[in-house]
Amino acid sequence: DSHIQYERVGADVTMKCGSMDWDAAVTWTANGTDIDESHLNGSYLILKNVNLSQSGQYSCYEGSSWHLKYQTNLRVGMPPKEPVLMCRSNNYPKGFYCSWHLPTPTYIPNSFNISVIHGTKDMVCEKDAIPKNRCHIRYIQLFSTVKYKVTLTVTNALGKNFTTLTFDEFAIVKPDPPESVVAKPVPNNPRRLEVSWQNPSSWPDPESFPLKFFLRYRPLILDQWQHVELSDGTSHTITDAYAGKEYIIQVAAKDSDIGTWSDWSVAVHATPWTEEPKHLTTEAQITETTSASTSSFMAPPTTKICDKGAMVGSGAMAVCWTAGLVVAAYSVLFI
Amino acid sequence: GDSWGIFTFLCAALCNLPALPALNCSEELGAGQSIQQTYDLTRYLEHQLRTLAGTYLNYLGPPFNEPDFNPPRLARAERVPSATVDLDLWRGLTDNARLAANYRAYSRLLCYLRVLDGQVGTAELRHRLAHFCASLQGLVLSIGGVMSSLGYPLPAGPAAPPAGPPGVPAAPNDFLKKMDDFWLLKELQTWLWRSAKDFNRLKKKVPPAVVTLRLEARGF
Repeated sequence: DSHIQYERVGADVTMKCGSMDWDAAVTWTANGTDIDESHLNGSYLILKNVNLSQSGQYSCYEGSSWHLKYQTNLRVGMPPKEPVLMCRSNNYPKGFYCSWHLPTPTYIPNSFNISVIHGTKDMVCEKDAIPKNRCHIRYIQLFSTVKYKVTLTVTNALGKNFTTLTFDEFAIVKPDPPESVVAKPVPNNPRRLEVSWQNPSSWPDPESFPLKFFLRYRPLILDQWQHVELSDGTSHTITDAYAGKEYIIQVAAKDSDIGTWSDWSVAVHATPWTEEPKHLTTEAQITETTSASTSSFMAPPTTKICDKGAMVGSGAMAVCWTAGLVVAAYSVLFI
Repeated sequence: GDSWGIFTFLCAALCNLPALPALNCSEELGAGQSIQQTYDLTRYLEHQLRTLAGTYLNYLGPPFNEPDFNPPRLARAERVPSATVDLDLWRGLTDNARLAANYRAYSRLLCYLRVLDGQVGTAELRHRLAHFCASLQGLVLSIGGVMSSLGYPLPAGPAAPPAGPPGVPAAPNDFLKKMDDFWLLKELQTWLWRSAKDFNRLKKKVPPAVVTLRLEARGF
């Protein structure tokens, strides 16, 4: 008959060949491969300081008849370390969810048990189908002064471990990031970008539980972010963008009174509106373009250099671009 | 015995709030703006309470000032009005009921805080408590103002000391007294969070249009 045997990494394992006597002649195989007699002590198989690679099916056959006398599935693993537990309310005031994981794998099956106590009451945390290591609870009462205590116990064949979280209802409120963030240039406005977004769809009641938002943006070429906090509304116009520069923009959300900020939304990229470059064929037209560009915020020399370069050829164009970037970076420092 | 009598007397004396002055200006400002102001006041008080509670719990000493302190609620603590409410019930509250619950709660909490003020040892605490009580009084008046401007009657003030059922005596020992103080501060904190949500809901449901109508009516 066959069964599963769990052993700790580093342990010494002795396998007996079922009911056979110690001095019986037997052959052991591991996953079908014969095991050398040096590992035997009589009919017992001795595995010292087992490691993960030694997991597998071990079979014991009677010497002469080659009858299968014993079979076991050896699984080498570890007892669980203290699990990592996190609870969060991204759908306040509906309820909250808890999710967990093990910091290191055990290599053998584990079972999890979660308990939630609110004051003296036991609450049931309903396990989610997907993802597996998650359960959710619905609030029955709101504005509670009593803390919630969540205990997660993880058990496997080699041991158990647990962790506890105690928190107030308001402390775990953290919305999901805003959705559908869109950034668009504003026609005829070279320094503006219009950003709009939506409340996260998991937030059930933005009317009674309004969110406030945090917007951050920077041109790709710079490392420092600029920040704007918005107490309401789901749109904002950036009015100090550097003309012609591609921007990266993100938004975060928070309940206006309690809890913590959400993670940053997916980043969107946008470049402010720039005037269409006109075709240059004569010197006269260069002068026209130059004087037209001086009215924009960017340093005119950039445009001038490039226009002249366009006349000469692609080689000069490369020089022009480099020169343009250098001047741009330089002028950015002065803004 | 004696302490119970003193407590009753103190509460009766301190809880006879003066009649609300006629708040004509609130009608002109508009219920909408008063609600915003009341909302802002709750946020301000919540911020103030954080400092006050920290100082007070340190004054009470361990275990009250430990962050994990999570005692069970004793029956005696039910005297302090609780902000905890069934979710669906809270959602379904009428504007009047919502405002009245806030008004009643803060009136009683103010009363308890004033008693506390008379008992604390250090000058710093007395100063902080006095300042907080003044702000809390302002909140009660502000809520009253909103109710008046919306035409709702004010709930009857705590004429009798809010001591709860006669069977509940004053704290018989020092530790239980400290527990009472702990729960008072906790409930106050929770009420301030709840009020922010209550006033958010009211903000959406009482548009400035209500005020415009009233002003026009007065013009006739």
